Amino acid sequence: MRLFENTNYDFLGKRKKFYLVSAAIIIFGFIILFTTKSIPLGIDFSGGTELQLKFENDVNISDLRTAMDEEGFAGMEIKTMGTEQDVLLRTPMQEDGTLVADKIQEGIKKNIPGNNFEVLRSDKVGPKIGAELRRNALFAILFSLIAILIYLSFRFQFMFAVGAVVALFHDVLITIAIIAIADFVFPGLRLEFNQSMLAAFLTLVGFSSNDTVIVFDRIRENMKIYKNENIIDVMNKSVNATLSRTIITSGTVFLTVFVLFLFGGEVNRSFAFTFAVGIITGTYSSVFVASAFVVDWKLRSGQTLGSTKTVKQRSKINTQKKVNA
Amino acid sequence: MKKNLSRIVITFVLIILSLYFLYPTYQDYQFNKELSKLSGQDSIDFLDKNNQSITSAREKRLKLGLDLKGGMYVVMDVDVVKLLEDMANKKDEQLTVILGEVKEATKNNEEQILEVFKVKLNDKGQSLKSYYGELRDSDADIEAKLSKEIDNSLDRAVEIVRNRVDQYGVAEPQIQKIGNSRIIVELPGVSNPVEVRKLLEGTALLEFKLIYDPASVVKVYEEINKVMVGDTTTSDTDSLTTESEKTPEDKSLTETVKDSVTKEAASNKDSIKDKVKETSITEAKDSLKDKNKDKAKDTTKKSDKTDSSVSDATDTNLADSDSLTDEAAPDSTQLTEEEFKQKYPFFTLVSLNQESGTADGYVKDSDKEKIIRLLNRPDVKAVLPSDIQFAWSNRTFESGGEKIHILYAVKKDPELTGKVITDARSNIDPTSNTPMVSMEMNSEGASDWARITGANINKRIAIVLDNVVYSAPVVRNKITGGNSQIEGMADVQEAKLLEIVLKAGALPAPVKIIEERSIGPSLGEDSIRSGVFSSLAALILVALFMIVYYRFGGTIADVALMINFLLILGIMASLKATLTLPGIAGLILSIGMSVDTNVLIFERIREELGTGKPMRTAVDLGYKRAFSAIIDSHLTSLITGVILYQFGSGPIQGFALTLIFGLIANLFTAIVITHYIFDIMIEKGKKVSFG
Repeated sequence: MRLFENTNYDFLGKRKKFYLVSAAIIIFGFIILFTTKSIPLGIDFSGGTELQLKFENDVNISDLRTAMDEEGFAGMEIKTMGTEQDVLLRTPMQEDGTLVADKIQEGIKKNIPGNNFEVLRSDKVGPKIGAELRRNALFAILFSLIAILIYLSFRFQFMFAVGAVVALFHDVLITIAIIAIADFVFPGLRLEFNQSMLAAFLTLVGFSSNDTVIVFDRIRENMKIYKNENIIDVMNKSVNATLSRTIITSGTVFLTVFVLFLFGGEVNRSFAFTFAVGIITGTYSSVFVASAFVVDWKLRSGQTLGSTKTVKQRSKINTQKKVNA
Repeated sequence: MKKNLSRIVITFVLIILSLYFLYPTYQDYQFNKELSKLSGQDSIDFLDKNNQSITSAREKRLKLGLDLKGGMYVVMDVDVVKLLEDMANKKDEQLTVILGEVKEATKNNEEQILEVFKVKLNDKGQSLKSYYGELRDSDADIEAKLSKEIDNSLDRAVEIVRNRVDQYGVAEPQIQKIGNSRIIVELPGVSNPVEVRKLLEGTALLEFKLIYDPASVVKVYEEINKVMVGDTTTSDTDSLTTESEKTPEDKSLTETVKDSVTKEAASNKDSIKDKVKETSITEAKDSLKDKNKDKAKDTTKKSDKTDSSVSDATDTNLADSDSLTDEAAPDSTQLTEEEFKQKYPFFTLVSLNQESGTADGYVKDSDKEKIIRLLNRPDVKAVLPSDIQFAWSNRTFESGGEKIHILYAVKKDPELTGKVITDARSNIDPTSNTPMVSMEMNSEGASDWARITGANINKRIAIVLDNVVYSAPVVRNKITGGNSQIEGMADVQEAKLLEIVLKAGALPAPVKIIEERSIGPSLGEDSIRSGVFSSLAALILVALFMIVYYRFGGTIADVALMINFLLILGIMASLKATLTLPGIAGLILSIGMSVDTNVLIFERIREELGTGKPMRTAVDLGYKRAFSAIIDSHLTSLITGVILYQFGSGPIQGFALTLIFGLIANLFTAIVITHYIFDIMIEKGKKVSFG
């Protein structure tokens, strides 16, 4: 079975259009992010107390809310998790020790008697830890980008390394944007920015550079073979030649992450969703951002583009080459 | 074929190694299945019978993180504000106000609390001197002292926490010191946060307790033994206290036990003697402060004293140890091991070393639980004198390949509590080159101490922290000045630990919980189920895709995929790494990534075949030309994996680990294993295809 064999798309000729698409998604996503408070910070980063309870019988959320208001936890975030018995309670409050969690439990026992519950999970994160994690998260992403930039500069020409890192930046931004939009449109996904999502972003940085490397690897090879050809042609040729493998490699990983999203449980859901989005944007960006960036850099720095031919002529030459080979 | 042979051998060695490391996990799973079927006495019997193998399987199995097993994860900070309050010479209204402000100001940031405290003090026209140190001390000195005290308090807190967690009886607790003020405690399987919180945040209690008279302890042990054998008829309280009133039968029993126990211990005796050094406590002529100031001058004085006390330690026996060194009854030698076990079950579990003149019991790690259960039995409690209490040693030593604990019998009521200690310091005695610990008490404590030591010369006093014995030195002389020194520690670490413990009595190390996560066991089980299910689903889907898309080549890639999966788990088990829920996510991700390498190679081979090259050349070229892209993509992923491990915490590190192991295993399986399989196939003239 073969997919995408002998394709001959003019990817890089249309790169300007895709710049616009990316920019539009990022801007739109960030507007939503800042105006609607989508992707709430998980308590890993915000600090606070969170309880996940499983009640014996169905429980009414508004009853719970009244009970909590009475106990002095006004405005507490309360939601069900899948069934009417599973409830998540969250408050930014946290005191010395873990008194908040105890008080919440006592409050429920007092106000909703006769419906026993089991504490599935109870988390309390102090403000210091939250601040530390936020800082570490930022450092981690920056360090990864810098480390990848350094590594790729050794392996490729510098402009390629920069192109790859620009693509990674793009991936992180556009993934945030898409998640913000998704969270806004489908609040049922219960996405939140927690440590797992951070892990997804970091893994994404590592993984989406894979596609870029595969394409660049071929460009590097083809640039030696077709020395006198137009850079855009060489790049298009390389992207087309590697198209099936970039899509299949991303596809197999997407498949596994999708399984994880469906069956991997609550904890892994944010991770799986983020990473799934990241895989798609990563593949997209390896062509429309990383390679496109290199083309524009080359054009800017005034390098010769070789002989200019129309698209039609180009494709004709390409097919001839194939026949010759 | 020859060049492939070594690769095949390596592959099989790796597979066998992985299976070997994963076998205990399977074993543990089987034991647990077996155990869940049994209940009550049956399960205890099963545990006793398979003790060794259960423990070893549990130790070597693939570790599951708290999110899968259920349990508590607690991060604690040393409460520096509280510590400053405790250390202050005087506690007035103003100090409370200032400390309250400091607490508020440092709530959300990482600023140095001591710095903030200094500024606040200055604002109020005060200085560190007003509350700490003496008139002649300079501010800088006081500050240095305080900041050292703050640093040290973490060590105390860790020791106190470790001590208590060990007693709480959690399997495989993890206690880590992070940075300068943080402790991470992981308690698998614990589901009572309220209790644990009390345990972790409570104040430590340091006590000095007299070691129970050895002769009486032996008799108590005999009584317990009788209870175990089921013969409780002859026991009356008199036989516990007076030797003369014993029946002849009792007497021979005592001696039999003694002799056999000695025999029993004989194999271990040398090592026990080596490892369990007798410690002693004597009066120190100089206070700690003086000692520090004129260390050089002090050397000669100290050496005289030390020499005498050390020689004392070697040849002094306890006054009432005579009864223990009686000649053995002749018939005792006839007892076989099995008979001994039947007649003296208690002494099979607890061996005494008669030559030491003490009644310290040596208990194998695997028997410790049994002894604890036994000592809590109502019928055993009934035969115990009301003023006896049992306490375990903090440290263990190795003998015959097993950890040995020491069981001490102490007087229930403490002679003195650690609150009277004002300072403690461990040193190396410059003349004898042995470690020692100096201890200082306040005047009130010193007078009590003089009375206690005076009345108990040549007896032992146990230093007990939260009911665990850290040392049990012999009192050599009456200590009147309140300055004591303890000698005979095995090494510097032990002395250092004793210093920490003594200081814990003087100055508690207040800790507060800043992060707490507890996962109920049912959530963990759910997570394991969903983790296993999604792993299998992903594995099957990806494997099917590869077969459909690449036919024969895909099948080979699937073989590599399975080996890869096995290797990752094998590496995890062998390095004792912990599998967490995000770790399972990493594993699933590795499944997807691991076939990618083969996808790159196969696509390249297809390309080469497309240009008309023969299969053999195409395969070789495919592997060769795809290599650079494979290395580059693996390395960039590895870089982010390592960074994630560095910056992530707890479960996320688990993800990073499986990802890293996955990438490494993948390089091997996808490049080496599949390559030689194709090689051999082609060589043998088998039909190879890539769809």
